[in-house]
Order: sequence, then structure tokens, then C-alpha cells
Amino acid sequence: MTTVAAERTLTDRAESINAAAYWQLLVNLTRREVKGRYSQSLLGIGWAVAQPLAMMAVFTLVFSRLGNISADGVAYPLFAYAGLVPWFFFMNSVNSGTMSLVQYRNIVTKTYFPREIIPIAQVCARLLDFAAASSVFALLLIYYRVDVTRWTALAPMLFVLLVAFTTGVTLLTSAVNVFYRDVSPVVQIVLQLWLYVTPIAYPIAKVPERWRRWIAANPLSGIIEGLRSAIVYGREPDWPLLGVSAALSATVLIGAFVLFKRLDKYFADVI
Amino acid sequence: MSSRGTAIRLERVSKRYRAGRSRTVVDLIASTVDSLRGRERDVYSAARGRIDSTIWAIREASFDIAEGAGVGIIGSNGAGKTTLLKLISRVTWPTSGRVLVAGRVVSLIELGAGFHPELTGRENVYLGGGLFGLTRRDIDRRFDEIVQFAEVERLIDTPMKRYSSGLYARLGFSVAIHSNPDIVLVDEVLAVGDAAFRRRALESLRRMIAGGKTVLFISHDMWNVRRLCERIIWMDEGRMRAIGPSAEIADQYMEQVNLRALANQQNALQSHRGGTGELRYTDVEIVDASGRPTAIVRDGGPLTVRAAYDAGVAVAAPVFQVAIVDVDTGLVVGTAASSPADVPPVVEGPGVLECIFDPLPLRRRHYVLRMTITDSCQLVSYDVVSAGPRFAVTGGGPADCAGDEEDGFVTLPFRFEHRARVLS
Repeated sequence: MTTVAAERTLTDRAESINAAAYWQLLVNLTRREVKGRYSQSLLGIGWAVAQPLAMMAVFTLVFSRLGNISADGVAYPLFAYAGLVPWFFFMNSVNSGTMSLVQYRNIVTKTYFPREIIPIAQVCARLLDFAAASSVFALLLIYYRVDVTRWTALAPMLFVLLVAFTTGVTLLTSAVNVFYRDVSPVVQIVLQLWLYVTPIAYPIAKVPERWRRWIAANPLSGIIEGLRSAIVYGREPDWPLLGVSAALSATVLIGAFVLFKRLDKYFADVI
Repeated sequence: MSSRGTAIRLERVSKRYRAGRSRTVVDLIASTVDSLRGRERDVYSAARGRIDSTIWAIREASFDIAEGAGVGIIGSNGAGKTTLLKLISRVTWPTSGRVLVAGRVVSLIELGAGFHPELTGRENVYLGGGLFGLTRRDIDRRFDEIVQFAEVERLIDTPMKRYSSGLYARLGFSVAIHSNPDIVLVDEVLAVGDAAFRRRALESLRRMIAGGKTVLFISHDMWNVRRLCERIIWMDEGRMRAIGPSAEIADQYMEQVNLRALANQQNALQSHRGGTGELRYTDVEIVDASGRPTAIVRDGGPLTVRAAYDAGVAVAAPVFQVAIVDVDTGLVVGTAASSPADVPPVVEGPGVLECIFDPLPLRRRHYVLRMTITDSCQLVSYDVVSAGPRFAVTGGGPADCAGDEEDGFVTLPFRFEHRARVLS
């Protein structure tokens, strides 16, 4: 939170513009991202809803009807959709975030500003999608007559965890992608596999005991399981699982941010 | 501004870039194997040539720039001028040495770099303003001023993809200079935009300097550099070749550029050639008093153009013409045409003709010769050399005292006469 010093002094540090202006930049870049994505598109923001809904239909057919996976007492479509909304927020953020610094190379190589604003704006732009998909989720909750419980109050905290972890991964992949463009295809593949090692189509309870701790080491497991128990089931979350998620998410976010700030001096040279 | 502090200080700054292609996995494996076998780690990969070669864009640059100074940066392409601005604006960081800056920097390395073509001019003003550190409220307050300066009122709610490149740049420039910076870095961006805007942009930069802002200005246009800047830094292949008063350094630089151009003039006549070809110039040079080729003419001194020609067939009553063209503006500042008395009635084979302007009443600028040979009615052009030798008019007479001596193209004869005021 530096403000413009009344007395100007020579410094070899970069920050000298106030935080309000950078906040403004984040808002503007987010807006630019959203507008750019939905301009000249018929369905517009509808795509943010279509994506998880379509996947929900596929999952319902494959896992529930053919694979006979039960959702522990709630309707399977609701169960799947509850996992798919945070999943697509994560996946889309990381996907577009990875290429973001490269995409914005013309401002990265020509003006100074804290570079992390660019990938963070990508995450922020996906928040809008998340909100749209969540409103459909609310409709589903009403349709399936799910009651609000005191555990529902946990949802905002879980949401913060989701955003923290997503931001961490996005910072990491976007920074490394500046140096090695291989990151982008690798991320695509990893994300495809990641969907299936996260308890989205199935509850973690259905995972055989010996594999369960590997699934638990995935921070998204605790977040998605937690969101489901808080909203869909209305029961106490699996605290140890959630604790692991929280610790890992915080570590990833901090670690990624530190690495990002180390690397960002070289962005303009190699991008 | 009571006392002038230091706005920018470079301490032995060097910047190295990696040239060539980047490493691939194959190279990584190769270098790992090499290092495991204890070999030199400088990375060659057998089939694909050397990688990891480096280029020093800046070497050991040190200077101080005072607050409120206008400083020009000149030098040929690739001399490190833009890298210097990028270092000062923190876009990139030095490999060694320190770059110290006091206050807020705005860099105009590319105008409108942050704009998005899908968004309207209005939205982009807010987007671009954010890049320069302006908050929404700051921009609200200055919005009209920004739009007026760029003269885009009519198109402000149109997506910027419909803007011409000149308009795009104008809005970019306007947003940047209205962001209230302490230090402005300008990189040859005024080349876009029309003459009126260029003049306004230069005028606004001049006002900023007068108002205590520091302006660093890269340009190849010595004319503007000299008018805007009190000092000049001359970069040459990454090193600071000279730093000093504008007039002095600009003259040194132009002298070098001209000498270099002279060395390259061997084939100059081959290009930009028109005409029917019965009679052609074979060699055109500017010579000094002792008959040696030169590219520099002292102001007030004579200009001698020596033209060798060759007529393949007999040509009757040719007219040889020399036009002096101002390099910056392309304006023809003067012409000379031979009269029938100057040349034989019929020319055939080779010959040499000299055209002497004495005195040459031209101001200190850069000129290029346009040479033609036509028939006596000027209907047929035998030869057209649109870009002949270049020359610079430089000082040499009494020391400068008038700062604006370069205003205009020609030195006109004049006198002032003073009379006591008489009421009529």
C-alpha cells in the first residue's frame, strides 16, 4: 500500500503507483476479458451454464445409469452439478490463465505494472461464469427441495479456498508458460485427468481405502466434498480432509506468488 | 521547482539478452549428459548449431538526469535506445548495475499498447488510464481533456477496431500525458499521427518540461530533438558514445551519419532510377573547395555538385537539373537548371558538369539531391535520380547564440530599420 511520496527520492524499486490504481487496472482487465469473450456471441454468458449442465447430463448417464454410482441419498444430477460448478471455475481459470501473460505480451513488454494482475484478472473474469452457473445451482436446489442448514454458512469459506487454490495454480502455470510454452499443452492434459481424480462424478467415500489418501492429497477434493456436504447434504464436513485442502491451498498460493515475483523481472525479456 | 534534484540515475548499467533460439528438451538432455561427463557446459547441440549466445544491449551506461530536463536519446537502430527506456520504466531489469528513478514514470514505448480493439474509445481510456496508474475518478475528471487533446470526440463511443492507426496513437498519447507522471519516456512514437497532432504533441512535451517534468525523448529527427531537449545522449552499439549539450552532440552525430552515408554512396545512383536512359548520370558527388567528396557543407559556404554523365546516343540541348530536398519534410527548398549556354548543344559520350551554389543560403538541416536530365522542353526525362547524395549543412562560422537558428529552411537577406513612433 504505497502512496505517492510527496518528496520524490531515487529508488531502484518499482512500485510507486498507488494501490487504488492497480485495483482499477484489475477491474478494467477483468471487464476487458469478459467483454472480449462474450462479444459477438449469441448465447453469451449462457455458455457458462451450458458447460456444467452438459457435463452433468453426461455424468448422469455414464456414472449414475450405467455405472450405478449412487449419490448417498440425493439426486445424482444435483450431486454432480455441485461438483462441476467449482470444477469448471478452476479448469477455465487455469486454462485461460496459463496463456494470459503471453496473450498480453504487448503490454508486458511495454509498460510497467505488477504482472500478477494479468493472471488474477483471468480468475476474476471466471467468477462471473461461476456466479451464473451458481444461480442455476440455486434453482436446482429449489427444484430438489434441499433445505438450508447451519452448515450452509461454511460455503463462503470454501469458496475462498477454491479461489485461493485456483489463483495459486494460475499464477504458477502462467509464469512458467512465459519461459516454456510446453506448459500450456501439459496443463490441458493434466486438467483432463484431474477431473477424474477429483471426487466430482463420485463421492470420495466410494474410493477404495488404499487410494483414498492420494485423492485426499488433491486440494480440490476437500473443497468440493466440503461444498457438497455444506450445501447439498447439509451436514458437517470431513474436517481432516478439509484441513489438508486448506493447508495445501495456502501453500500453493503463497509458493506460487513468491515464485511469480521472482520470475516476473524476466518476463519482458523472454516472452 | 526551486532546486533540481536527480530524476534518473544509472550506475554502470548493463543489459544482456539471450539471442538465438531457446533451449529445447533435447538441448537440456545434451547439456546434462555433457556436464555429467565433465565437459564444458557451453551449450552446443551437434546438429542444430550454437545456442545460448548473448547480446549486450547496454554496456556500462552511467548518467544522471536532472528533474525537469528534456533529454534526447539518439543513435542508429539497435544502439540500445529502447532498451534504455525499458530499463528506466522497469519493464525490464538490468543484468548488472543499478537504475534509480525518482517519481512516477510513464513510458510511451508504443502508443495505445494496452487498448483492446473490441472496446470503445471511452472504455479504452479507462483501461489505458489504469495502466498508467489512474483511478476511475482521476479519469472521470480528465476525460474531456483527454478526448479533446486526441480530437476523437466523434468516435469516442465507437469500438477502437474502427479507428485508424493515427487515431489509435493519438488517444494513446493523450491518455499517457494526462496521467500526471513525473517522468515521461517517449520512443519515436510521434512518427504516427498527422503533422498537426505531432506539433501539438511536441508542444505538450515542451510544456511538461517547462512545468518541471523530466522527458526522455528518442527520435531520429534531429530537428525535433534539438528543439525539445537541452541535452542529448548518443548511444552506439549499446555504449554511451557521448552525452552533452544538444547542438553539439547532434552535430557530431550527424557528421558521423553523413560520413557513413558517404561511404555507402557508391551504389546510391543505382536505386530510385527513372527516365528513358539515353543520357544518364554516372556519378554524382558533393565536393569541397579542394575537390574532395564530402557530405558536410558549412553554412554560408558554397555547395558544389559534381555530376558525371554519359550519353549513349547524341542528345541535343539537354537540361541538367538539381533540386535540393529537405530530408525531414520532403520539401524542395531550391532548384537549379542548366541553361543552353552552360552545356554543349549536343552531348555524346561521357562528360562532367559542376553545379555551384555560392553562397548556399540554407539553414542547418539535412538535404538530399534530386537530379534529373530532360530535353529542352522538359517533356522527356532522360534520367531521374530521386535520391542522390545527401548532405548536411552544419555550423562553422561564428558560435551559436540564437537557439532557434534552425527554424525555416533558407537564410533570407534582411535588415531591420528602427524609427521613432510617429503619430499620424
